[in-house]
Amino acid sequence: MFQKNQKPAAIAALTLSLAVLAAGCGSSNNSGSDASGSSNSASPSPSSSASSSASPSASASSSATTASGDPVKFHFYFTGSQNVKDLWDTLIPMFEKENPNVKVDEVYIPSGTGAQPTYDRILAAKKAGKGAGDIDLYEDGINVVTQGGKDDVWQTLSTSDIANLANVNAQTMSDVSNLAIPYRSSAVLLAYNSDKVTNPPKTLDELLDWIRQHPGKFAYNDPSTGGAGSSFVQTVIYKDLPADAIHNSDPSIMSQWDAGFKTLKDLGPVVYGKGIYPKKNQGTIDLLQNGEVDMIPAWSDMILQQQSENLLSANVKMQQITPGFNGGPTYLMVNKLSDKKDAIYQFLNFVLSSEAQEVIVGKMNGFPGIELSHMSQEMQDKFKGVSDGFRTFNIGDLGTEINKRWQSDVAAQ
Amino acid sequence: MTKERKQALWGLVLVTPSFLLLLVVVVIPIVQSFIESLRNEAGGYDLSRYEWLFTDKGMRNNIWFTLKITVISCALVLLIGYALALYLRFSPGKLAGWIRRTYMIPMFIPGVIATYGLMNLLGNHGWLSRLLLPFGVTLPRIIFDEKGLIIANLWFNIPFTTMLLSSAIAGIPGSVIESARDVGAGKLGIFFRIILPLSYKTFLVALTFVFMGVIGSFTAPFLIGQNSPQMLGVAMEQVFGVFQEREQAAAIAVFTFLLCSVLGFFYIRSMAKEEAARM
Repeated sequence: MFQKNQKPAAIAALTLSLAVLAAGCGSSNNSGSDASGSSNSASPSPSSSASSSASPSASASSSATTASGDPVKFHFYFTGSQNVKDLWDTLIPMFEKENPNVKVDEVYIPSGTGAQPTYDRILAAKKAGKGAGDIDLYEDGINVVTQGGKDDVWQTLSTSDIANLANVNAQTMSDVSNLAIPYRSSAVLLAYNSDKVTNPPKTLDELLDWIRQHPGKFAYNDPSTGGAGSSFVQTVIYKDLPADAIHNSDPSIMSQWDAGFKTLKDLGPVVYGKGIYPKKNQGTIDLLQNGEVDMIPAWSDMILQQQSENLLSANVKMQQITPGFNGGPTYLMVNKLSDKKDAIYQFLNFVLSSEAQEVIVGKMNGFPGIELSHMSQEMQDKFKGVSDGFRTFNIGDLGTEINKRWQSDVAAQ
Repeated sequence: MTKERKQALWGLVLVTPSFLLLLVVVVIPIVQSFIESLRNEAGGYDLSRYEWLFTDKGMRNNIWFTLKITVISCALVLLIGYALALYLRFSPGKLAGWIRRTYMIPMFIPGVIATYGLMNLLGNHGWLSRLLLPFGVTLPRIIFDEKGLIIANLWFNIPFTTMLLSSAIAGIPGSVIESARDVGAGKLGIFFRIILPLSYKTFLVALTFVFMGVIGSFTAPFLIGQNSPQMLGVAMEQVFGVFQEREQAAAIAVFTFLLCSVLGFFYIRSMAKEEAARM
């Protein structure tokens, strides 16, 4: 008898769980459309008045709310390794707590999985006359800033909209024609196991010699899957080219790559596993940690962060070489066609506040985006002299060409 | 309206929903990819994308590599799957009971996690090599090598295959096997002349599943495969996501689809034969 009774009970439970599921879907859909829509729903909230005093740009923040008092939601796309996501997962709740009238919808695109298509989407939406294409704020490197400048998709920013922009180095801002905010920087450095390597290479030539003398003890990651490997590849390829070549995105320079690719190809048999290039920036860090290799190119912020979390042993040290590896600011760009600019400015003002910058430095171990004189004395001491030495490559689509040729010339040799 | 016509109409009405679903999620995307793959760099239409597939040295190696890994994986998975299923069917022991209870576990472990687990277990400085170190055994390279890929494929595919084959073998009446034994058939004879023919259809289903699963796999080959040659799934992602050549990626996709449809052809033919025999 008991067994017979179980059946209806099970069906009831199943129905219930299905109903809960359906309800869950329904409510999340509703909240989504409520937040993005500006329709005249009831219940006015007092948030609009509360936030206007938060920043000096009062005009921006007071008009950021919609008439009904619903928070304005904008879409923020960013890319990078997990640490970048962790950073925004910390900063955005901080911001939303202080500014209840704005909601930031973050969309994380893991590195190596197609950040370029995000830019293509912005451009496609503009060309199709579809406005911002739901990408209001975007984070990326200098290549995309320049490209977007040419395509005229970025909003010119000024201190009248974002008060804290005054904290950013004016030269850095004029380098990008005020189209983007360099909110943090980091650089690729040589990370090495100091127990095994006492005298790390100081120049690229010394590094190449070291790799040849220590077969199997150096690894760099597949350049199409992460910036550290791609920085090593680009640094080697541009080794003997004129200094200004790294700012040249003209395809004609491709004929001068041959020597560099030959060097990389010849390195194949002496790098880790006679030509194994792990996927993603983390792939080589894992090899360094478990002792399979002694030296890798890596992002300074990833090394520092993982050391502070005890994921990476303290005997890993870092060294910049000359000519320097790739490095530079990461930029935030506002889509020119976004209709939620006031809310975005409010957010950007927060990102450039010393409060948020301390989080960036503390959490990501990146170099701050604002001038050091606006940071605490402790921070000023921490970054004295270390946040330079890197070079900023600005070669546009040639980066893709390098990856393509690397795959056929170096990986598939 | 005659009764037959009514029935025929009803039949059409009933298959329409599944046909529409198939049309939207399978047929139309395939046609679109096919059209896209025909577009050359100048914007015209020709077969240059396919030509590149077979003339580029790296890509040709990728195709051979994918076929090799797929064939080896299929053979090993089916061999082990059959062995396990037979063991579970004919052994009453405790061990068989435990295997029966646990062999499905790999199906419930997410692919990425299983892959990282394999990397930690079989890597150059992994657990296995550390355990074997005191005995002076040095493992060959498994991770970042085709051996690791095949092991990963075994892990992902054996449980489901065993499950399919078990149910097929369970459907073979014990009396048939016993009577074969009575007239003097050996173990191998029973397998090849009774069990295999009677479970042939399921065998084909299992083969199809393993083949499709391996040839289209991405996670494991991306994380533990070599940089070159790559499995087609990884190469497709690279061409699509990194090199931004959508037409070329479409050509690889269509080619992969063709490889799969060869197997699909045999599968459907055997099904159709059976239907015809039944009528």
